[in-house]
Amino acid sequence: MGGRTLRALAPLAAVVAVALLPLVVTDRFLLKVFTFAGINALVVVGLALLFGHAGQVSLGHAAFVGLGAYASAYCTVRLGWPWPVGFAVAGALAALGGLVLAMPSLRLKGHYLAMATLGFGELMALTFQEAEPVTGGVDGFGGIPFPSLGPLEVGDAATLYWLVWAVVGVALLAAYNVTSLRPGRAMRALHGSEPGAQASGVDVVGIKVRTFVVSALLAGLAGALYAGVVGFISPSVFTLTASITFLAMAVLGGTGSLAGPIVAAVVLTLVQYIDALIPGLPQEAAQTIQSYREDIYGLAIVLVVIFAPRGIAGLWGRRGGRGEAA
Amino acid sequence: MSLLQVRKVTKRFGGLTAVDDVSFDVFEGTIKALIGPNGAGKSTLFNALTGFDRPDSGSVVFAGAELVGRRPRDTVRAGVARTFQNTQLFDELTAGENVMVGRQARQRRGFTAAMLRLPSALAEDRDAHDEAGRLLRLIGIEEWVDVPAADLPAGIRRLVEIARALATGPRLLLLDEPAAGLNATDSRELVQTLYRVRDAGITVVVVEHHMGLVMEVSDEIVVLDRGRKIAEGPPRLIQKDPAVIAAYLGEGGDDDG
Repeated sequence: MGGRTLRALAPLAAVVAVALLPLVVTDRFLLKVFTFAGINALVVVGLALLFGHAGQVSLGHAAFVGLGAYASAYCTVRLGWPWPVGFAVAGALAALGGLVLAMPSLRLKGHYLAMATLGFGELMALTFQEAEPVTGGVDGFGGIPFPSLGPLEVGDAATLYWLVWAVVGVALLAAYNVTSLRPGRAMRALHGSEPGAQASGVDVVGIKVRTFVVSALLAGLAGALYAGVVGFISPSVFTLTASITFLAMAVLGGTGSLAGPIVAAVVLTLVQYIDALIPGLPQEAAQTIQSYREDIYGLAIVLVVIFAPRGIAGLWGRRGGRGEAA
Repeated sequence: MSLLQVRKVTKRFGGLTAVDDVSFDVFEGTIKALIGPNGAGKSTLFNALTGFDRPDSGSVVFAGAELVGRRPRDTVRAGVARTFQNTQLFDELTAGENVMVGRQARQRRGFTAAMLRLPSALAEDRDAHDEAGRLLRLIGIEEWVDVPAADLPAGIRRLVEIARALATGPRLLLLDEPAAGLNATDSRELVQTLYRVRDAGITVVVVEHHMGLVMEVSDEIVVLDRGRKIAEGPPRLIQKDPAVIAAYLGEGGDDDG
């Protein structure tokens, strides 16, 4: 009984905590770190659907973030379009990219699909570098304005934070609805046994394509938010390392869960800025942690795969919370 | 009335002819068994009937519609459901959820509807939930509804897979070795289930090694040996058929090495 109440209250408490954070944390840099955590969380919600539920690996999601970032930058800076339009174009273009990447997923599985998505990511990274007239090449793309909604410019740290986390909230709600109803069962069925899913009449092709498209769309929106928050983007941001980081967050978060990957996204983002979070931390320790970041992620993934295959979500035993939607 | 007409179906793998010019009919409301020694081509034929494999030649007509060339999902939606020799349950889902997935054959994808939590999505979910409960009760395994498939005993896994196949709303149910790995008690329950399925108006084709079970439940038997149909008829005649006895005792193996 107590467990149930706790489970029902936990999401509410999380929402309140996330919403009220800027009232407690007033440091602008720290708020920006938490804003980045939200941007990463948005990408990871998509990966939680794609990897955690449908069992499809992607090592190319940074490409969608890049696609969204450049699309929104180009629309707002070069074309002078309003920010919401650029935001929508970013999502649409990334979704289109997701449709392209979904094609190999219909034929390839496991390692082979991972290689195909990796290739896609590298190809896009190269495109960002070479398409200089549009992207500014290796010098990057600067002067990107803050997000604005009509006459209202979202410029200060707290409002940016709220905007990002509001988008995360909407995405999370939509993702929760998908996973708790039919499509979610279809995704997990696909993950469990593809022949079994086919024999049950699950539209395997339709589900795979839609999951790829939705996860790419969320990554694209995250890219647009990133461009607006930072004001400057360059190809070095949207690399394989970023793709691996996103996937690491999804793996550590655990399969069949949304909350786990979100927590993992926030924690792993905070680790990158550990010196800002813990003021007393010696410079040297912070630098050590940061220079071994990828190794720490890798080690964490290995430990999770060996000792807690269900990830963070599995550790707090989420099993029973499902299937009660009907 | 003949519900399923299999005509001259042939399937080759390289130089091996796994199914060789096989024809037979399945009549509505009956249980038909497909038997034969290992490697006789039973599972290959099953895959050819359900869209998992495409025969090289021949035709499979179900309720007047050609099945050859259809994908598995379209075959299921046409009314032909199947189970697998190695059960293909979704281990992370509960028994109830596994059966609910089978209901998707009768539902649309509903990605957007689910995302927006539209009443139509919720109603279809409720329908799947109710149907799953009804089918688990029909088969007599409703106490397992909330158990993850990974934790189910072998016998129950078989029955859950049958329930999932029934959730697709089939007119014809194809069972691939449903008694494999079952003990005597489980087998008896399986026989009861087959009768209940048939009494619900669903035609059944069963591939089986377990001779006692086949002789008990089937109205008609087709015997395959090395891809060819060597006999067809009611159990009593099949039991006495010299060609069948020879095939099962391996005497026919000497002719062409």
